[in-house]
Formats: sequence, C-alpha cells, structure tokens
Amino acid sequence: MHEVSIAQSIIEIVSGQCRKGGYRSITSIRVRIGRASGIMPDALLFAFDAIKADSPARQAVLEIEEVCVSGRCRDCGRDFSVEGEYVLDCPLCGGLAFEITAGREMDVTDMEVEE
Amino acid sequence: MTGTVVEKITKEDGRVKVKVVTKILEANDRIALENRRLFDKARVFVVNLMSAPGAGKTSVLEKTLAQGTGLRIGVIEGDIAGSDDAERVEKFGIPVVQINTGGACHLDANMIYEVIGDLPLAELDLLFIENVGNLVCPAEFKVGEDMKVMLLSVTEGHDKPLKYPLMFQESSALILNKMDLVPYTDVDISKIRKDALSLNPNLKIFEVSCRTGAGIAEWTAWLGEQAGKG
Ligand SMILES: Nc1nc2c(ncn2[C@@H]2O[C@H](COP(=O)(O)OP(=O)(O)OP(=O)(O)O)[C@@H](O)[C@H]2O)c(=O)[nH]1
Ligand SMILES: [Mg+2]
Ligand SMILES: [Zn+2]
Repeated sequence: MHEVSIAQSIIEIVSGQCRKGGYRSITSIRVRIGRASGIMPDALLFAFDAIKADSPARQAVLEIEEVCVSGRCRDCGRDFSVEGEYVLDCPLCGGLAFEITAGREMDVTDMEVEE
Repeated sequence: MTGTVVEKITKEDGRVKVKVVTKILEANDRIALENRRLFDKARVFVVNLMSAPGAGKTSVLEKTLAQGTGLRIGVIEGDIAGSDDAERVEKFGIPVVQINTGGACHLDANMIYEVIGDLPLAELDLLFIENVGNLVCPAEFKVGEDMKVMLLSVTEGHDKPLKYPLMFQESSALILNKMDLVPYTDVDISKIRKDALSLNPNLKIFEVSCRTGAGIAEWTAWLGEQAGKG
C-alpha cells in the first residue's frame, strides 16, 4: 500500500544522483526488493510510472530484482531459501532454530543515464 | 549496506551505468535516528502503536491513561484526516498533538520530526505515537520509536499473522483486543498465538478487552517496566 512513498523515495535518490553527476536523463533504474519487505512489485511499477513525469526519471524504466527469503538453520546447519514471504520452520529439517539472512532488502542498486 | 556507493561505468556501447547502492528508506531512517536522539536526550520512552483501522488503538490509550501508570504520558495522533482521536485523549489533560497525513497510509519520521517541538518532551516519560490504521505500511517506516506495539482485534480473524507477517515480526508486543467478542466469533485465539510466536518468538502477547477492562492492568504493568528500562 505504501508503494507510492517507496516510488517517491526511489525517484528522490536517483534524481539526486542525476543532479550530482550532471547527467541529462535517466533511462533505467534497478532496485532490489525482498519478498518479505511488504512491497508488491506490480504496485511499485504502477506507482513509479504514475509519478515519474516531473522528474529526471520521466523516461526511465524501473527494473525490479526480487530477492527470496533465505535463512540458515542452526539445527541442521544448512542454508535454505523459500518462495513465500515468511519462514515458520526450516524447510529442510523442520527445525525452529533458524535465522533469516535475506528477504527484507529495499535498495536502489544502479541506474543507466544519458550524459 | 548503508550509505551510498557511487561508481560510474561506461559500457562498450557507450551507455553509462551508475552504481548507486542506497537503501530506499535511507532518508527516513536517518530522520528516525535524529528523532530517537531527541527522545533519548529528553529521556522519553516512545511507543509506536499500530493496527488495522478500528482495532482499538485509541481505546487502549484511553484505558491505559485511565488505569494510571505513574508515568507522565504524551500522545501523537496520526490520522489521514480529522482530530477525533486527539480530542478523545485530550480529555485526560495530557499533551496531545494531531498529525494529519493527508492521504498517506502511515506516519513517517519527518512527520514526527516536524511536531516534536510542539511537545513538552522534558516533562514526559512516555510518548505514544498512534499510527494510521493500516496493517501493512507502518511496519516499514521507523519514526524513532523505542518499540513497536501492535493491536489485533479478535474480529479480524486468526489468519492475520500469516497474512501480515511483517507487522508481527517488527512488534515487541501484541495486544489482542476485543476479547469480550470472542464468544460471538469463530476466532481461534490459540492459532493467533501460535503463528504470531512462530513469526516472532520474543513477542509479548496481552489478551485485552477495552469494553470490560480485562487485561489492561497486565498490559500497563508491563509497559511501565519497559518505559523504566528505556
Ligand atoms: N466490544 C469491544 N469494542 C471495542 C473494544 N475496543 C474498542 N472497541 C470499539 O471499536 C471501535 C474502534 O475503536 P478505536 O479505539 O477508535 O479504534 P482505533 O484503532 O483507534 O481506530 P482508528 O484510529 O480509526 O484506526 C470503537 O467503536 C470502540 O468502542 C473492545 O475491547 N471490545
Ligand atoms: Mg484511533
Ligand atoms: Zn534445518
């Protein structure tokens, strides 16, 4: 639901970089979004396209790299990764002693620009 | 990964790629940290209270204020529009600030930063921030709180922990409100407890009714302990 504010933050970050580097415009932006971040990629794309008009990213394409929820189990010692948004027990051994190692990402990673 | 790493790479086809590794919420997190510094300096313990619309956030505040905790309490009310909630808690004669988000589905750190000056922080021990009613967004936006507390009213159903895992994972305590209504629903309280604890083994759970007052004493006692630590 807060994809609009996320899209706004992305635009602020890349616009700042665009000003700093003196680039003419931005053609694409890559972001990394974890499955457990509560962000829906489709909603983010929609929000981004809806608000990009008055920014240096007005022609930019947003590319979303989704990151699976992953963890490390202390019971069986193995690393795992799941399709869903959360982990209730280790999918390999059923153990409850695990730590989540990925899935909450929300980062801008890079952008392509015209100089 | 914090801060920004910038590196420019010109590819063979002449296109320019700029590496910009930045957390999307970095700006918000930075302001949240500044809020936290101001709260810490004034020795105010801050609770970010979150739930779906109508789960009973303002009712729990009213009960907590009526119960009396021995703490000097202030409240920030976050609503999309209106000041009804602020008027309800103002009756207790405590400092209250209303924020209208004008459509935004959550409070962010800057909205809090802008009203900190309107509160007599030096005269407070505990500050409640009642977030906008929403089970998704507030969990992601830090506002400078010491802890997050979420409410779930029993009429919302027992499937909520697994549908909205982030909120349960981020919270220190879960208040299961409207327990007086359990007999009129098919809600499975033990399933809520089990799923919520699987998502967050450290979650402290309180069964409360703002109608009958059940559970309020336990909640306020625990809250007092937490604020004392902070
Ligand atoms: N039966 C029953 N009703 C309750 C209880 N707690 C709150 N309510 C009712 O639920 C409704 C919503 O309560 P509020 O305290 O306004 O909820 P809120 O979470 O602050 O709502 P928003 O700020 O609008 O998101 C009111 O009509 C309350 O009287 C409870 O424990 N039992
Ligand atoms: Mg309210
Ligand atoms: Zn295992």
